[in-house]
Amino acid sequence: MLSYILKRIGQSILVLLITGFVAFSMFTFVGDPIDNMLGQERTQADIDRLRAQLGLDQPFAVQYYRFLEQAAQGNFGISYRQGRPVSEILLERAPATLELAFVSGLFAIVLGIALGVFTAIRRDGIAANIIMSVSLIGVSLPTFLIGILLIYLFSVELGWLPSFGRGDVVEIGGWTTGFLTASGLKALILPSITLGLYQMTLIMRLVRSEMLEVMRQDYIRFARARGLSERVINFRHALKNTMVPVITVIGLQLGSIIAFAIITETVFQWPGVGLLFINAIQFVDIPVMAAYLMLISVMFVAINLLVDILYAFIDPRLRVAA
Amino acid sequence: MLRFAAPLAVLFASTAAAEEFNFAVTTDPQTMDPHAVNSAPVLGFLNNVYEGLVRRGKDMSIEPSLAVSWEPIGEGDGWRFKLREGVTFQNGAAFTADDVVFSYERASSEEADTSSWFAPVSEVIKVDDFTIDIMTTAPNPIFPDSIANWMMMDADWAAANGVERPDKDQGNFATLNANGTGPFQITSRQPDLSTTLEPFDGWWGEVEHNLTSVTMTPIQNPATALAALISGDVDFINPVPIQDVERLKALSDVEVIQGIEARVIMLGFDQEPGGASEADMFLDPQARQAVAAAVNVPAILQTIMRGNAEEASQLVSPAMRGFSDANARPYAFDQDGARALVEDAGLAGQTINFRCPNDRYLNDEAVCQAITGMLAQVGMDVSLDAVPVSNYWPELRADNFDMYLLGWSPGTFDAEHPIRFLASTPNEEKRLGSWNFGGYSNARIDELLPMIQSEIDDTARQAMLDEAAAIMQQEVAYVPLYVQPLVWGTRANIDLTQRPDNFFILRWVTVN
Amino acid sequence: MRAFVDSDLFYAFRTTPVAVVSFIVAALLVLSAVLAPLVAPTNPFDPASLNLMNGFTPPMAPNDFTGDSFFMGTDDQGRDVFSTILYGMRISLFVGFAAVLFAMVLGIFLGLLSGYVGGWTETIIMRAADVQLTFPSILVAMLIFGIAKGITPVEYRDQMAIWVLILAIGLSDWVQFARVVRGATLVEKSKDYVAAARLIGRSPLTIMVRHIMPNVLSPVLVIATISLALAIIAEATLSFLGVGAPPTQPSLGTLIRIGQGFLFSGEWWILLFPACTLLLLALSVNLLGDWLRDALNPRLR
Repeated sequence: MLSYILKRIGQSILVLLITGFVAFSMFTFVGDPIDNMLGQERTQADIDRLRAQLGLDQPFAVQYYRFLEQAAQGNFGISYRQGRPVSEILLERAPATLELAFVSGLFAIVLGIALGVFTAIRRDGIAANIIMSVSLIGVSLPTFLIGILLIYLFSVELGWLPSFGRGDVVEIGGWTTGFLTASGLKALILPSITLGLYQMTLIMRLVRSEMLEVMRQDYIRFARARGLSERVINFRHALKNTMVPVITVIGLQLGSIIAFAIITETVFQWPGVGLLFINAIQFVDIPVMAAYLMLISVMFVAINLLVDILYAFIDPRLRVAA
Repeated sequence: MLRFAAPLAVLFASTAAAEEFNFAVTTDPQTMDPHAVNSAPVLGFLNNVYEGLVRRGKDMSIEPSLAVSWEPIGEGDGWRFKLREGVTFQNGAAFTADDVVFSYERASSEEADTSSWFAPVSEVIKVDDFTIDIMTTAPNPIFPDSIANWMMMDADWAAANGVERPDKDQGNFATLNANGTGPFQITSRQPDLSTTLEPFDGWWGEVEHNLTSVTMTPIQNPATALAALISGDVDFINPVPIQDVERLKALSDVEVIQGIEARVIMLGFDQEPGGASEADMFLDPQARQAVAAAVNVPAILQTIMRGNAEEASQLVSPAMRGFSDANARPYAFDQDGARALVEDAGLAGQTINFRCPNDRYLNDEAVCQAITGMLAQVGMDVSLDAVPVSNYWPELRADNFDMYLLGWSPGTFDAEHPIRFLASTPNEEKRLGSWNFGGYSNARIDELLPMIQSEIDDTARQAMLDEAAAIMQQEVAYVPLYVQPLVWGTRANIDLTQRPDNFFILRWVTVN
Repeated sequence: MRAFVDSDLFYAFRTTPVAVVSFIVAALLVLSAVLAPLVAPTNPFDPASLNLMNGFTPPMAPNDFTGDSFFMGTDDQGRDVFSTILYGMRISLFVGFAAVLFAMVLGIFLGLLSGYVGGWTETIIMRAADVQLTFPSILVAMLIFGIAKGITPVEYRDQMAIWVLILAIGLSDWVQFARVVRGATLVEKSKDYVAAARLIGRSPLTIMVRHIMPNVLSPVLVIATISLALAIIAEATLSFLGVGAPPTQPSLGTLIRIGQGFLFSGEWWILLFPACTLLLLALSVNLLGDWLRDALNPRLR
């Protein structure tokens, strides 16, 4: 067992190295940061000097080695755009993204499970069918369009909710939170719906189909025959047994919520790491792009690793196979 | 996880009280260092915090700022500036001639991005505490005009914080902090998130504004910025997307302020043999003429720009000093003529690589698309490639184009500026033609430039500028299209002044 | 054909109105996209045919300058929105189908290989899948786009965009197929009939293709249908981020990106019609996929 876990960790580190290599090698093609860092009256000599200062004149292998060497020590360099350490910037931006991901995840899970159960119980009801069809609209439109339409409706036309940003935030020991002010909470509504809608639909449909499956199992029929109330059957027996696959999916979706926050954050000017990344691309801020990609990779690889190890505990056959 | 015992601090407030002012910008200034990056977002913003010896008024004319008066020395040997007395920096230190000498050394250093402003300067001499002599290598009549954005930094403050030189690469204390003499001081700075300012009580000037606190928020997505203005989340946005001007004008609580920017949008051509783009069709002046005749600029202005821009005839707009009235006629739109020229130049069947940025100028991509269509109508085969600006300049530097779109805003507000950067034969050593990507070259223009730069007599100078403009127009060095419009949007209770350099000056803002 | 009409699947289809309606809608959309050159009144991809002065014409109303009238109005370039949607849908569908096909072929191949061969091959493939999953599809696409821009000659960039989209979307999708196929292969491999086939000396390739593949086709079909809808939407998202089809040859996504700039200014038709088309297309494909999943799931029947 231990050797399996060690082996998987070793593989994960290899995955991270490859990921870093692939990501880093791509930056060469994304653009040239030099033009953004110098004004319109720059000369070729200025360009060459800055390029040398940044180490961009070095061969690719040298640049990558330097990046790894520093990243291993937790140093992702200095942002070209902001002139301060990338790790500092990431820490400053992380709360915004994590809070957004948390709220939209919560929205997706709570509403997803509730609607999933409802549509499973009332399988042939009109309301359930309407919910099922409407939920498909949510996954049939690109996220950015949903965001823009929500802004148009709720901020511009109705004036109910703020159109951008986090509202008032409160700083608590280096962590900025929007949970403690009215405007901060209001600002969370539209971006969370935009970001969570897709996951909500996914969870809802998953819960529904798992429920339907479980409901035809013998033990549910048996429970019904024993005269247990519908409520107890639905929630104590059926729902409980659908939770294993649902939790797995939720775990995997958590990562993609953070990744897809890029688009939501762009539309709502949400000051998180996703917006930071988009700005970094526009500016060719290589240290920020590299750090962001590494961060996302570490997160996904960690989730993957965790899921695999958990499975290994649950299913001994896989242990042997691996 | 959250410790409530820790101090609570409200970072920014979105509820606008009477004198709080929130504004949105598309690009956050990347530094607070006035000498590190010579770009409009940086200089425009820092004009509220730092000040130069001279400044530009509401009509762009040069007026006294930290210098009260100036006069030429001898027969064009240089300029003598009398400094304002009793000025203090925001940290309380007094402003003296030493700070000017230091700011010269800092701004003209190799590490600075503003060093080209001081190319004509040979020496800066402190005469006494409030007199400065700036000596030039040749007579330089427009020197005071060229230093309106040269901002003064406190020598002692810089030394105390170890920022004697700018640092573009690693950043330093001055990247995030500022200490100017200007009417506003920075109270908090979170790059890309928000920057707050408060009036500086010790400012020397007469206060016209009534602001008590100012917040700047960068919003990149134009639709989001517009929504924020309409819903009252911000008081000011720049720019308003051109297509939304009419809609905003119809709203009672929002106002649109329009003007003409200093920036001329033009087409440039690959006029050098060889290069990465091997086709050399635009070496032939007829080919360039064909483009000039085929592009229907009024139609572009009518539809894409919705009547909010003016046609351009030369590389500067009529608002600039040295504009050539003698050459004020734009190229005529003439499809039949263009077809004939396409035939003569043998352009049919050659694919023209047309480069265009898609996030640099107002509606740049749509304009390029329209031009592609217009050229196709007269028989040219154009392949349009619209890319983000971070990919754009490297392509141009690599000569990877036949034709490209460029916008130019003369930093000195003078017609000499584009001649130096866009029309001179590229010469690394003399810092000439550094943005002349197409390699346009004309011996007479190269000859005229130094003469224009050192001519003191206005009439003689204008005659030479006219000659240069005529040559470029006749040779179709570039095809000037239009002057980019300025479109600002504010809440109706805000009064402000729009300056053609697109700088947003806070001391002219009042909240009613 | 006869066999198909008589099959259970067709019967289930015939008796589910949602499936029939969405099939008809999807078929109509695909057909009109394929036949765009015949159906569309103008060719919006021919820049020479455009008249800029026709720009921003509202639907069914004559233009102020030219007097021309358009069924769904025109966009900022004076392009007929209706024709542009038809041509744009062609590109979106082409990208979608090609990307899914690419992902499917790659995923099935790698899934079969890793499931059947196992050992190091499996480890490498599954770790590669991890790397792939590590990068969200949008990031993969943006990076591939950047590289392709850097290495393709200027003349081919217009065409390049489409292939890059296919590659990027396809690459981010293959993992799903591979995982499902691998899982099914692992299950099938241990069954007696495979052991029997191996005993009588069938080659691994034959076993994989003839015996195992038919067993994984239904989940693959379901994933493919849903992936198609996802791919079409992914293309739109990428266009919003500026790495989609070029504006001179817009896809539905590019049209929506252009149109959203005119939402506030009152030219709603530039956004609304392409958005509705995308919605109809993705919705009908999604509904079909949904139905297919239920219909092919023997336990739910």
